[in-house]
Amino acid sequence: MATIIHITLKGIFRDRVFQGIMVLAVLFLFIPSAASLSMRQMTELTTTLSLSLISFIMLLLAVFLGATSIWKDIERRYTFSVLSLPISRTTYLWGRFFGIALFMLMTTVFLGAMALIAIKAATFGYPPSRPVVWSTIIVTILFDALKYILVVAVAMLLATVSTSFFLPVFGAISVFLAGTATQPVYDYLQTPSVQAAVSVIVRKAAETLYYLLPNLSGFDLKVHAIYSIPFNVQGLILTSIYFAGYTLIILSIGSFLFAWREMK
Amino acid sequence: MNAIEISGLCKQFKGKRRTCVDALKNLDLQIEAGEVFGFLGPNGAGKSTTIKLVMGLLRPTSGTAIIMGVDSTLAESRRKVGFLPENPAFYDYLSAEEYVAFVGSQFKMDTALLKRRSDEVIKQLDLWEARKRPMRSYSKGMIQRVGLAQALVHDPDVYILDEPMSGLDPIGRALVKDIILDLKKRGKCVFFSTHITDDVEKVCDRVGVIVKGSLVAIDRVENILRSGLEGYLVHLQLSDADAGTFAGLQAVRRTGTVSEFYVPSSVFNAFMGAVNTSGKEVVLVETKRRDLEDFFLSLVTSSAQESR
Repeated sequence: MATIIHITLKGIFRDRVFQGIMVLAVLFLFIPSAASLSMRQMTELTTTLSLSLISFIMLLLAVFLGATSIWKDIERRYTFSVLSLPISRTTYLWGRFFGIALFMLMTTVFLGAMALIAIKAATFGYPPSRPVVWSTIIVTILFDALKYILVVAVAMLLATVSTSFFLPVFGAISVFLAGTATQPVYDYLQTPSVQAAVSVIVRKAAETLYYLLPNLSGFDLKVHAIYSIPFNVQGLILTSIYFAGYTLIILSIGSFLFAWREMK
Repeated sequence: MNAIEISGLCKQFKGKRRTCVDALKNLDLQIEAGEVFGFLGPNGAGKSTTIKLVMGLLRPTSGTAIIMGVDSTLAESRRKVGFLPENPAFYDYLSAEEYVAFVGSQFKMDTALLKRRSDEVIKQLDLWEARKRPMRSYSKGMIQRVGLAQALVHDPDVYILDEPMSGLDPIGRALVKDIILDLKKRGKCVFFSTHITDDVEKVCDRVGVIVKGSLVAIDRVENILRSGLEGYLVHLQLSDADAGTFAGLQAVRRTGTVSEFYVPSSVFNAFMGAVNTSGKEVVLVETKRRDLEDFFLSLVTSSAQESR
């Protein structure tokens, strides 16, 4: 599997994806200047904009790398040569996933460092009313990365069954949007007033989707980073377990489906 | 133990409007270790489908394929196989050297051995100058050579090559034939598909002909060539007075003092007896036979007529 991870990383770097990220990272230079327009909450706004930029870049990476890696290998007939080597399709799929996940983590480190520099620069311009807790920002960025790695897994699952580019790309975007909304919708449906107003069928359908789709709300810790609010450690552990469990299930289903796929 | 053992292998593809297409019908085939087997068939006959089934890229509708005693649905069955797919494509951001090293590592080759073998096969396939360039800059023929290099690098016991001469120039084709002959000499099993009969005639021990998903013939190449023997062209040194006829046969051509007689195999012994008795000088005896292409075409034609 290590060699699959290695060539996946090589492919991403040689396709100049990282250079593209570095170009986008130039935007970090403008964040403190943009945040200075807020006058009073410059650090908070810098943190918000930095974390949002990281999220945006990571979403693009997750969708396009996750959705296209398997699809491209099939489309360009690389699978005929790779899958005829003595490696199982499961190893291939997991290798591809870990390669992309590793790249996402490397990108996170790079973008995270840029964000920390931007936030530090902002604190010089206008001292924040609350102290900046760097560890909180780092953990927030890390959990953001986990969220997008989970989206990669979803995109790869869709790519294992799809013959076109559209299902994995648009499917992953849809799952991301729905996954971000499931928790607020579920909480809303649990309120007594709504329970009385909404039919049981709608509530059951929402509940099913809540358990079926990835719940991405738990990974969003931006409020903690922006306002230096301490984490609920137990919540973080649960989210980490959820990430590992959900990714394992998604990729296991993907492996099963991919093993049955015919390479015509 | 047979190197490749195919039993009752069938493959149906779902067509449009719930129709089924029989791409392969009940194929039984045993290929011995050390044998070079040519799998001959027209386009769309089922050659590549068979190979993809053997390599585990497709799932059989029924039947089994076993490579060196291991079921082909298992990844382990491919451990002793060097495979060249039809019109191969490899990660084009890698160089030939990197790709061959990647393949070798999948076969758990020792690093030093892999480096040595990689250099050997890259040189053998005339890729040395281009070995460090990304494959996206390679021509079709060069990609085909990379395909052969990656199939050879781990020196497996079984080679499965899908149209190995495709996309190669005459020099490349000659090189591939030499490689196959060398593998034969070293006791390796080579199973290759082609629709070019000349390739089979020159390098194969046995040939199987597949038409419309069915194996219609399987025999040793020498048997086919022998059974196709029709007669001989005997060149005799004759004076002008005897030039026209000899032993009741008309000369088909006269060049200088040499006359050529077409002698059907049924009267060859009698003809040569007459030559001996007369004391005439035999300049040359050529065999006249149906070649493999004629054999192949007759099978394809008769199969097409039967299906009408």
